[in-house]
Amino acid sequence: MNQAEISQLVSKLRIRINPRHKNLKNPEGPQGRLKKLRKTLTALFKYERLELNYTLADETRGYAERLISEAIRHGDTHKATMEMADYWIEEKQLIHKLFKVLAPRFSDYKTSYTMLYRAPKAYPDIVYPRSIIELRGNPFPPILSQKLDQRNFIHNVLLEEAKKAYRAEKYEQITKSLGEQPKVEVSDK
Amino acid sequence: MLLRNLKLYKVKSGLAPVVQICRLSSSIPLEDFPVGTVSEKQVKPERKSIVPSNCRYVYPEFLPDPKMQWRNPLREKLERMDMIQRRKHIDIPEFYVGTIMAVTSSNQHAPNKATRFVGICIQRLGCGLRANFTLRNVIKHIGTEMKYQLYDPTIQKIEVLRLEKRLDDELLYLRDAPNEYSTFDENMEAEYLPEGSPIPVNTTMVKLKPRPWRARWERKNMKGLADLELPERFYKRAEELATPWEKYDLMKQYRRTIPEEEQKEIFAEVYSELHEVNVMRKKQKRKKVFIKPFKN
Repeated sequence: MNQAEISQLVSKLRIRINPRHKNLKNPEGPQGRLKKLRKTLTALFKYERLELNYTLADETRGYAERLISEAIRHGDTHKATMEMADYWIEEKQLIHKLFKVLAPRFSDYKTSYTMLYRAPKAYPDIVYPRSIIELRGNPFPPILSQKLDQRNFIHNVLLEEAKKAYRAEKYEQITKSLGEQPKVEVSDK
Repeated sequence: MLLRNLKLYKVKSGLAPVVQICRLSSSIPLEDFPVGTVSEKQVKPERKSIVPSNCRYVYPEFLPDPKMQWRNPLREKLERMDMIQRRKHIDIPEFYVGTIMAVTSSNQHAPNKATRFVGICIQRLGCGLRANFTLRNVIKHIGTEMKYQLYDPTIQKIEVLRLEKRLDDELLYLRDAPNEYSTFDENMEAEYLPEGSPIPVNTTMVKLKPRPWRARWERKNMKGLADLELPERFYKRAEELATPWEKYDLMKQYRRTIPEEEQKEIFAEVYSELHEVNVMRKKQKRKKVFIKPFKN
């Protein structure tokens, strides 16, 4: 039985979170794991879209979300947040990007700040599941093809009209057949 | 006007009048009834929450276990209801690790069927109905500890004698300290803090007895420990084993806490009832005040 830590408040993340972290096999142990994550996180903030192994991308996602949410929550005048950003972002010019570009961009988002997609494996070269991680609102073309509004295609409009006409015809037939039927008297008691 | 009254009626009582209203409304032209008012009435202005921000310190056991595999919203809610029910029966005061308390619990072997134990709270663990705390005192030169479940029905009374905090969240090192650090008078009288004043922090530095200890305290980064006076190699080893990167592990932090939104939800649900209970207790206390007459 554990007790929730209450020393600091955190914002709720809007992504699914694994109950346990993944180890990310590393000879340096947990410290090396964070080093690896730091590298990918910096790259994510720099390029806004990366192709990675699924495990690494999934792990990085949580850290990226947390860092952005902290930046939104406390701003750049908060000492602890700045220290955290300084640890996680290796290229120091990107700290400015975090507080001046990303935090304002995501401040009124109601969804997660990042997206994670499954990518195809290049069998037999790559055996691990691949994925694409990106920051939302990036300048690149979307990964999933946008759904077109197919309702306004000319054949769909014509088909819709044809359906309406057919239905109207049917209703007319039904009303005519009802009129021809003899009336059945219903007596109330 | 008539329609408006009817609408109100519809809200108050169940299904049957709805039919009536439908019938009546067909006879009254709809233009009489301004459509805008309905939506204006339904949209409530956002109320400021009255829940104080220190709730998580005062009632930490109302926050669920952050371990995701063990979460169960329904169980947590039921537990919270039970906890409030228990709090209606006995006064569970605000206390912290380092507070000196007295607990009276039922004991069938005691002559008056109850035992009172006075001691310093050295640990507070668990959440929900399983929340517990440990009191420590030295009785007849023997260090004694009692672990109580906070919501145990056999507990008759919990008193706070001196409300204060210490520098650490756990005072288990008192077990390795000389007896004077955890000796408290059993007939100690309660000290009152003025309402609304901040909780005082007791900054006593504890000087431990020489080794062997129950834990390697040089590795635990305790703030309330005086110089341990160990040979250099102990500190070297402690430095080797330290994990200074852990404070940067954002997800580890996240998995150990309950996010603010969830906390707000929980305390919004619980606070009004807790506040009611507190107010009731205060009223009772005011009634019961009785000053013992002195002989001159």
